[in-house]
Amino acid sequence: MHRLSASRQALCQAALLLVGIFVLLPLWSLSRLALDGAIKSVPTAFMLWPQQPTLGVFGQVWQRASQSLSFLGLLANSLWVSCLAAGLSVVMGASTAYAFARLRFAGRRVGLLSLLVGAFLPPVALMTPLYLILESLHLRDSTFGLVLVYAAFSLPFCIWNMRAAFQAAPRELEEAAALDGATPLGCFLRVALPLALPAIGTAALVAFLGAYSEFAVGWLFVENGRDVTLAMAIWGMRTMGGVPWSQIAAMAILMTLPVTAVFLVLRKALFDRMAFGSPE
Amino acid sequence: MSTVNVVNAPSWRRRALRIAAALAVAALAAILRLRAVALLPIDYDEDDYLRGGLEYAAAIQRGDWAALTQLNYRPEHPALHKLAYGLALAPFPPATVPDRPTTAAPAPSLPQPHLYVARLVSAFFGTLQVLVLALISPVAGLFLAISTWAIKYTSQAMLEGIPSFTSLLVVACYARGRIRGWRWLALSGAALGLTAASKYLYCVAGAAVAVHWLASTAPRRGARSKVALWRWLRPVLLWAVLAVAVFAAADPYLWPDPVGRLRDSVFFHPYYTQSQAVQSLNMPFWQTLALLFSSVPWHRSVFLVALDPLVTLLAAIGLFGRKEPRLWVTWLVVAAAFLLVWPTKWPQYLLCLLAPVCYLGAAALARWVAMLERAWAARGDWHWRPAWPSSASWIGLRRALPWLIPGLAAAGLLLIYPMIYQFAISLTDLQATSIRDGVTGGVWREVWLGLTGQVSPVTPSALGHGPATRVHYAGPGLLAQVLLSIDEVLAFEIVWTVLAVGTQAALGLGVALLLNRRGVRFTGWWRTLYILPWAVPEFVAALSWSHILEPRFGWLRLATAPWAQQAPALARASAGWMARTDQALLLLLMAALWYGFPFMCLAASAGLRMIPHELHEAAWMDGAGAWTRFRYVTWPLLAPLLVPALLIRAIGAFNQFYLFVVLRPPHPLATLATISYTQFASNRQYAVSAAINTVTVAILLGLVLWFEHKSRASEGLTYA
Repeated sequence: MHRLSASRQALCQAALLLVGIFVLLPLWSLSRLALDGAIKSVPTAFMLWPQQPTLGVFGQVWQRASQSLSFLGLLANSLWVSCLAAGLSVVMGASTAYAFARLRFAGRRVGLLSLLVGAFLPPVALMTPLYLILESLHLRDSTFGLVLVYAAFSLPFCIWNMRAAFQAAPRELEEAAALDGATPLGCFLRVALPLALPAIGTAALVAFLGAYSEFAVGWLFVENGRDVTLAMAIWGMRTMGGVPWSQIAAMAILMTLPVTAVFLVLRKALFDRMAFGSPE
Repeated sequence: MSTVNVVNAPSWRRRALRIAAALAVAALAAILRLRAVALLPIDYDEDDYLRGGLEYAAAIQRGDWAALTQLNYRPEHPALHKLAYGLALAPFPPATVPDRPTTAAPAPSLPQPHLYVARLVSAFFGTLQVLVLALISPVAGLFLAISTWAIKYTSQAMLEGIPSFTSLLVVACYARGRIRGWRWLALSGAALGLTAASKYLYCVAGAAVAVHWLASTAPRRGARSKVALWRWLRPVLLWAVLAVAVFAAADPYLWPDPVGRLRDSVFFHPYYTQSQAVQSLNMPFWQTLALLFSSVPWHRSVFLVALDPLVTLLAAIGLFGRKEPRLWVTWLVVAAAFLLVWPTKWPQYLLCLLAPVCYLGAAALARWVAMLERAWAARGDWHWRPAWPSSASWIGLRRALPWLIPGLAAAGLLLIYPMIYQFAISLTDLQATSIRDGVTGGVWREVWLGLTGQVSPVTPSALGHGPATRVHYAGPGLLAQVLLSIDEVLAFEIVWTVLAVGTQAALGLGVALLLNRRGVRFTGWWRTLYILPWAVPEFVAALSWSHILEPRFGWLRLATAPWAQQAPALARASAGWMARTDQALLLLLMAALWYGFPFMCLAASAGLRMIPHELHEAAWMDGAGAWTRFRYVTWPLLAPLLVPALLIRAIGAFNQFYLFVVLRPPHPLATLATISYTQFASNRQYAVSAAINTVTVAILLGLVLWFEHKSRASEGLTYA
């Protein structure tokens, strides 16, 4: 087919630029706030660029992020909760996903459908019963309680995704290993698991992100200041009022940067394995 | 084929049965309407139209026939319906109704028996409409007969009775005329004229007929000569001319000054929509359609049954039926589109689309019944046997169990037990004050006592009254109450899901098409940029949008502030977006678009890469333009690949939560997840929150089952 003429090329680029501006608009609005040292509480005039460009706001929130915790303390809570929730989902779900991918058994179809429903539940779907259960176990107001709540959200999705990965791996390799005398567990651990590792990583990352950015349900469960995660702390600053917008924006950016970096680095690996969850 | 026709041809016995059924339905309709005529209190505007009728009646009594061309109280509505009232009222002693402004409250009292007679006239035509619909489809007639909206507004001295009837005639006669010839078509045109002479709104039926007529007889692409065009347009034009002639004849008020009076009458309506009275109501644009999903909320005791939401739901399902007659779907779509766009949202406007709603509801029901019949007939067939596990798979389960145990244990503790517990909570009145009792087993105690009949359920209306420190069994009443009270949110959910997915798919697909064009440069950079929204946590995305949209100090507000003098509307809009539902919806859609389109773009890009380039080359060689290539090459191949992504985004939009929590749009802009959270976090009504979540789970389960059914039916996919 013909090459694009210069005018068409320009038209295409202009359209793409327009979408690009739309994409950058909220990100820039956030960065502009965070980089502006002049905002004492709320912005009062429209500014495209920061009035006093400075990185000082980041320093302020780094030193004094919330009443009872430093920024690093909040980050540690966030990482602890998110990693544990993602790890729990993946570790508890891996063998189940393998069974769904490779074995035929009674109730398999019902199980798969329930997994799909579970994966589609909104984050608030189970908050009431979990609240009561964790309260009666005296786990509600703690980071471990949060881990359990977030693991409940991500478990079905993780199983579903890992199942797709196990299914995509060639069955012949496992059969060959079995012929060579490997036990079923050996087949699973030595052959299937390594092959599916990238997809398992994707599932874990999604579970991690879910827990990392959750704040609404978290505030229903946790009441003390020491067990607060980063996302919860930002939401707390926002609802409390009186905190300068620039500090909230700076916290949000500090929270986002590591995730975005990981995301962009792993971009290729992630999207090649993106499963749309079609039930095939 | 011919044998089928012989079998299906209505024999005289079938025809008699059908007529008897229609008459029975009409009798039921008459009873329900007579009851409403007697019991309904005086409503808005009834005094106006009664006064219009009485003026005519007085003129007739005087023998002053010329006055009929000069009288038309409330001239914004054409004369025919009021004239009918006048004719019916002529034998009765004269009476007067004071002249009051249109916006006045309902009249405290109106002369009797005049009001009664006028209502009877309206109810007569309402019953005739049911009769006609029942002759076409008895079940549809039954649905219309019991529709509370139809009963209410055709049993009051309003202007709905005649046009409801005649607009149905427009469509029914047209459908028959397409088979039987011009006499029926002429009847359809005449009926359209009478419809226009009764109330303009109902002409949407005529518009639907015109759309259907033109679309179904359009000449093929190759054969578009002038002659063919004329042959195509002529019958429709004749039909329209006849309608106009009948309209002019049936509206005597127009005779002295047709152009001027018609102009005043028609143009009153667009001006009225801009008036303070309408603007201050601030109804969301889907208000009328939301009403369709509920029954008449006032004077409940008048209506014996209130199944309107069910019928609407059935119709919504019927809308997707492949075999449904296009004509009725067209009617529904044209009328619904008009009501969505038109700013005034009076509930009586519903009546202009009740007939197609009832028809499509009946069609969906008939399809289900046929499916059940088939299933029953084929019960010996393996295909319909429920999927009993064979003995081999029970052995399989024993083998699989060790693998399943970790996942089952985790899911059992974190998902399955909580799900059951949630359902149990929704059967109680658990709230903040009774949380101690609930945590220590109060929920299970009450549910056990309640289900074994040892305690009677407390009425759900007692919920929230008085802080109880003990949990009580409330029975399924709470679930029912939640189901009845979320119709507004459900209507918004539908609007929201459709619009959000539509915009995201459109932008995602557009960007993917651009990026996949040959020769476009820097695509790698653009792709990386467009992925950013996906790499940002949803919470941060919502937060940055809230910084833009905040009504006092947001970027948008500050940006428009300097122009507050020149463009006050703009400044007002950016400051008060919270107050206007339509604007709030628009901005929410923008934020959701930002967050959601990268996913659709990725899915579309992945799909586009699977389409062989040779197909485009071939189409291009054959002289296909860009649009033709997209429409006939790209789209048919791409669409099936997009379905799973669309479904995922649709469920994502249906469950959208963080965006709403952060941006706090006004009522009724909320998803089920959001109102459940509010009930939990702000009102501390734990049982209500659990009931809403139970409903959510049920809806998602239905969606997943439907999706599974569809994907198996269309592609033969199973869980292999």
